[in-house]
Amino acid sequence: MSLTSLFKPKAVALAPTAAAPPGRGALRALLRDGPAVLGLVLVGLLVLMAALGPLIAPFPDQGAGAANVADRNLAPSLTHLLGTDAMGRDILSRILYGARPALLVSVGVVGLAVLVGVPLGLVAGFRGGRLDEAIMRVSDMFLAFPPLLLAMVIVSLLGPSLWNAAIALVVSWWPWYARLVRGLAVSLRERPFVEGARTLGLRDVTIMRRHILPNCSSPILVQATTDIGTVLLAAGSLAFIGLGAQPPTPDWGLMVAEGRTYVFSQWWMSAFPGAAIFLAVLGFNLLGDGLRDALDPREVGR
Amino acid sequence: MIRFLMRRAATSALVLLGVMLATFLLARVVPASPAVAYIGPKAQPEDIARVERELGLDQPLHIQFWNYLTDMLTGDWGDSIGTKQPVLGEIGERLPATFELLAVAMAAAVLVGVVLGVVAARRKHTKLDHLIRLLSIGGVSMPAFWLGLLLQVVFVRALGLLPPTGRLGPDTPFTYPITELTGLYTVDALLTGNTAALGDAVLHLILPAATLAAYPAGVVARMTRATMIEMLAQDHVRTARAYGLSERTVTWRVALRGALPPVTTVFGLTLAYSLTGTFFVEVVFNWPGLGQFAAQALLNVDYPAIMGVTVLGAVGYVLVNLVVDVVQARLDPRVGLA
Repeated sequence: MSLTSLFKPKAVALAPTAAAPPGRGALRALLRDGPAVLGLVLVGLLVLMAALGPLIAPFPDQGAGAANVADRNLAPSLTHLLGTDAMGRDILSRILYGARPALLVSVGVVGLAVLVGVPLGLVAGFRGGRLDEAIMRVSDMFLAFPPLLLAMVIVSLLGPSLWNAAIALVVSWWPWYARLVRGLAVSLRERPFVEGARTLGLRDVTIMRRHILPNCSSPILVQATTDIGTVLLAAGSLAFIGLGAQPPTPDWGLMVAEGRTYVFSQWWMSAFPGAAIFLAVLGFNLLGDGLRDALDPREVGR
Repeated sequence: MIRFLMRRAATSALVLLGVMLATFLLARVVPASPAVAYIGPKAQPEDIARVERELGLDQPLHIQFWNYLTDMLTGDWGDSIGTKQPVLGEIGERLPATFELLAVAMAAAVLVGVVLGVVAARRKHTKLDHLIRLLSIGGVSMPAFWLGLLLQVVFVRALGLLPPTGRLGPDTPFTYPITELTGLYTVDALLTGNTAALGDAVLHLILPAATLAAYPAGVVARMTRATMIEMLAQDHVRTARAYGLSERTVTWRVALRGALPPVTTVFGLTLAYSLTGTFFVEVVFNWPGLGQFAAQALLNVDYPAIMGVTVLGAVGYVLVNLVVDVVQARLDPRVGLA
């Protein structure tokens, strides 16, 4: 979404020759960058939670949603490290169970948006002409809505659920990738190495796949990394106002909403799930930021 | 300039037409029967047929769209299913509250963002710069609804410094009633010299505005830092230094002027983002504005209200972009008006 493209004060410069995949140098640059390492750690933690959450949760049945009325509204303690909610469920277990859907939805939405947007942008930018016009006008229509509003309208009409929220987010997200990749493809189209490939008689599809796409990979990777965080935040926000995951899904945004009524007496119900969202989004933003600097040829040797 | 404006206005009109078509299609084609939404789930077949006739839903789609367009242009935005009131009236009533919140939040965001960005650029790669970088990326990653609740817990519950929700305290409308002129409580109270109500309105604005400002402030700070670093290294800035201008003048007058155009662009984009940001902030702070109305409408599948709010949001978005382009062209002589 535009929000993430805002964080690119300088456009990522393009490698002057064909296919220069991000190499070991970029990785080393990334690991030297303190904030980026913090981002890597946060994202790693999220992945671990998503993978092992149900296995390490202290109260698995409560994590999955089973009520436990005996232990309602308990403050954080040694048994319940992050306290319990209004239905007596252990909040730590709920957060651990929530990591998997949160990560799957955000990665899935961004992945699908890339799958739809990137080929369209490639074709539009490389071919130009009427096809370009048509694809860009359609994507403009999607981009004319304020961010998230289109997604909210779609969820409202389809009926609120995590699944519909994911669909709505894909529908409103792909145009950003189409536009990003189109811009890159247009600037690459006239480069000597593409002309050369054309002179050799390679088919358009081959040129796009072998010569244009690899040179777009860094900006796409950077954008997708930050976008995973942005989508996670968007899905949480939708759930918070009731337009996303429904109870008893262990969704972090939904948990913040459920704890909202009790926030003045039992602050932990909303505070911890919200912190989980914040840290996850922060992780992807820091990582995306670090990746951008590490992959930017202009930054090399600084 | 006038030609540029006309051209931009024409494209904006086209974009709006596209948005209205998209909204119309979404609302009329996606759901199985809009008529059922009007009557409720217990609708009888004959009721459905009657309502479909009343709403013109039995007409062909292109005629329906034409009717929808002409209705919107003549100010008939339909009645909200939830409140049974005309949508346009509902919107007009709530617009000032949202406008006031948005204006205060964006002003604060620009002020804080630009100052933090300039300071970070001046102290590039120091501890202070790293701290500002972390703060701004934190502001960008913060879920607004969560930040709002945290601020309530700290400043209302723990410290007891600020009121929790709403635009005014429960007694203020009775003890110090505000004469409504603009609908912006702070402005109205100021104009009528109602200092007690002014203070109350300002106190109620602080937390929601701060919550809404976190994201744009972070974005503006990052953009300002990046462009200021480039600007401070430029020849004309070095020349200004060589002329003996003070470091302060060089930074805030010479370099910052060059950094403004990109910051303006980013400001426009974040302002558009904050339009939807108000949905969450208004829900958390029970702020009687458009965002709360929109959130309600979306939850209750209140078609006329959803369509009204969506079109209004798109108009706002298009206007913001238009203004940004014009300001941009004025600030940066290199941007042509062609």
